[in-house]
Amino acid sequence: MLEISELCVDVAGKPVLSDISLTLQPGELHVLLGPNGSGKSSLLAAIMGLPPYRVTGGSIRVDGVPVNDLSLRERAALGIGMAFQRPPSLDGVTVSAFAGAMGAGATLAREAAALDLSAFVARDMNVGFSGGEIKRWEILKLFLQDPRLMLFDEPESGVDLEHVIAIGQAIGRITRTPDGQGRPRAGLVITHTGLILNHVEADRAHILKGGRIIHSGDPRAIFAHIQTHGYTVPETA
Amino acid sequence: MDDLTPQPKDTQLLGDLTNAERDMLHDVGFEDEATRAGTSILADHEMRVALSNDPGVEILPLNVALKTYDFVQSLMFGLVDPEENEHIRLVAEHMHDPLGHFIWVKPGAKVKLPVQSFSLLETPQGRQFTHDITLIDEGAEVEMVSGSAVPGNVQKGRHISIGESYMRKGARCTSVTVEHWGPEMEVYSYGYSQLDEGASSTSTAIMMSPIRHHTSRSVSTLAAGAKSASQAIVFAPEGTERVLATETRLAAAGATSQDIARMVSAGGTIVNDAVLIGDAVRTNGFLGCDGLKLRDAGEIRAVPQLRARAEGTQLSHEASVGMIDGEKLNYLMASGMDEDAARDLIVQGFLELDKGHVPADLTARIEEIVAKAKSGGM
Ligand SMILES: Nc1ncnc2c1ncn2[C@@H]1O[C@H](COP(=O)(O)OP(=O)(O)OP(=O)(O)O)[C@@H](O)[C@H]1O
Ligand SMILES: [Mg+2]
Repeated sequence: MLEISELCVDVAGKPVLSDISLTLQPGELHVLLGPNGSGKSSLLAAIMGLPPYRVTGGSIRVDGVPVNDLSLRERAALGIGMAFQRPPSLDGVTVSAFAGAMGAGATLAREAAALDLSAFVARDMNVGFSGGEIKRWEILKLFLQDPRLMLFDEPESGVDLEHVIAIGQAIGRITRTPDGQGRPRAGLVITHTGLILNHVEADRAHILKGGRIIHSGDPRAIFAHIQTHGYTVPETA
Repeated sequence: MDDLTPQPKDTQLLGDLTNAERDMLHDVGFEDEATRAGTSILADHEMRVALSNDPGVEILPLNVALKTYDFVQSLMFGLVDPEENEHIRLVAEHMHDPLGHFIWVKPGAKVKLPVQSFSLLETPQGRQFTHDITLIDEGAEVEMVSGSAVPGNVQKGRHISIGESYMRKGARCTSVTVEHWGPEMEVYSYGYSQLDEGASSTSTAIMMSPIRHHTSRSVSTLAAGAKSASQAIVFAPEGTERVLATETRLAAAGATSQDIARMVSAGGTIVNDAVLIGDAVRTNGFLGCDGLKLRDAGEIRAVPQLRARAEGTQLSHEASVGMIDGEKLNYLMASGMDEDAARDLIVQGFLELDKGHVPADLTARIEEIVAKAKSGGM
């Protein structure tokens, strides 16, 4: 589904990612761990095609299609979607107007309740949303978009314990169910807390540090290691 | 003189409207007269309808009102000098037979249904000079819907209007106005209002249709404790020039005002010249003007001016003019929207009205009108 090979990315003339290789099979959910500033959001942005991240080497393929030269819009059309870490506020654009423009009014009605956002449909997108509300909305937004490759940038940070469960379950549900055309999906989740791992079964984890993947392996084992040894390579590896 | 004696005052119906006229007025907010407390319709050079269904509201053609009530003559040119400028002089010169309405909301009247008033220019290359006077008397409360319309074949024409509006002590008015003139027309509207002690006005203006030139000048003076809140949504496609000049004077202690303009240029020019004057203690005023520029052509010029002339006046402004925020555009496109749809959504959102300022029972109707104006104008 996603094949990243020897990817190098610049931002503002400086390298932020070097020699990243990573493969997601259909149906898989991977976790991306790493200290602040290590390049996690940059990696998701480079996959999504968001400026100002510039690919300087290597390749990103989605279902075998090289996306390096595709626009943001073309990548979205290919089935890439992202739950933003810090989305912008859209004054005057209500959640329901957005869903309408996306042709996803029925999905909104169905999924808003699961994320405890039924009362938000008349609100302007992200305007005055609390930190946790933003996170829930970004997941709901993915349901409306119905992408195949989902990029979650810290979906549970700042979210209270009860809503982490809702978010974890929603991520699990959307990842494990096929898309509107019956094709399997895959997801890449950035997390600091690892809380998400309690609610959704992840297949693999990667530690990103200084713009490089320094280790990949079993999510629970890696998370346990980080909790005691920080973002380092486990010796047994 | 006899023929000008007013009919029993709650039924002053002068003529009738054709279905075509009703249709074009409907787009700017008109509803069947029976569902309104009062209706005033001016078409070309005649007052076509001046009708009230509510004992608290009297609507007369201005020429009739002048002869009916002595006090009307002191209201006329009470807020503006007839020599103020060439346009006003031009209208004043037609005052041997003034064209326009006199709307009087009686003291203490709490008018349930809205009062509506509209102007129609139906003759291509028509010239219209109008003078309207509105008196909302002490303690009265009313909602007003007003607007202008032209048939599809009217491209060119000229309309100059003077409006004088008096809100007496404690009066309250919520108003919405929707204009829809011809694309090649030149329009100059001058509105003057006086808010007496404790009066409160909330107004919304929707100016979205193409027009060659429209200068809209409004001047308001607020007495002690008076309150005014206004919002305008303004759109200028290529070939449209709109000049909004507002002057708000907080003349006595405790007066407050809030003026908000949202302007979108899609190649046209919009000038917003807003002056806020704090003349007394404990006055508070805010000017907000935000502009969004969608094309290289055209211009948005926002000139907010604050004049504090008394100690203890608190005046502020916020102005921003720019292109569509790339981050917002990317956010929507990352969800799969194409660029045009994303732009549309952002612009529509930008021009969204503050619903709190629109009479509750009119909200749905106003939304429909704005949606129509947005789809027609853009
Ligand atoms: N637009 C930008 N301009 C300049 N520097 C940037 C830009 N975007 C990212 N960077 C830099 O690139 C590095 C990686 O940033 P990134 O946002 O990818 O980190 P992250 O791993 O997501 O961190 P966090 O856990 O704090 O979210 C940081 O040093 C950051 O300052
Ligand atoms: Mg980040």
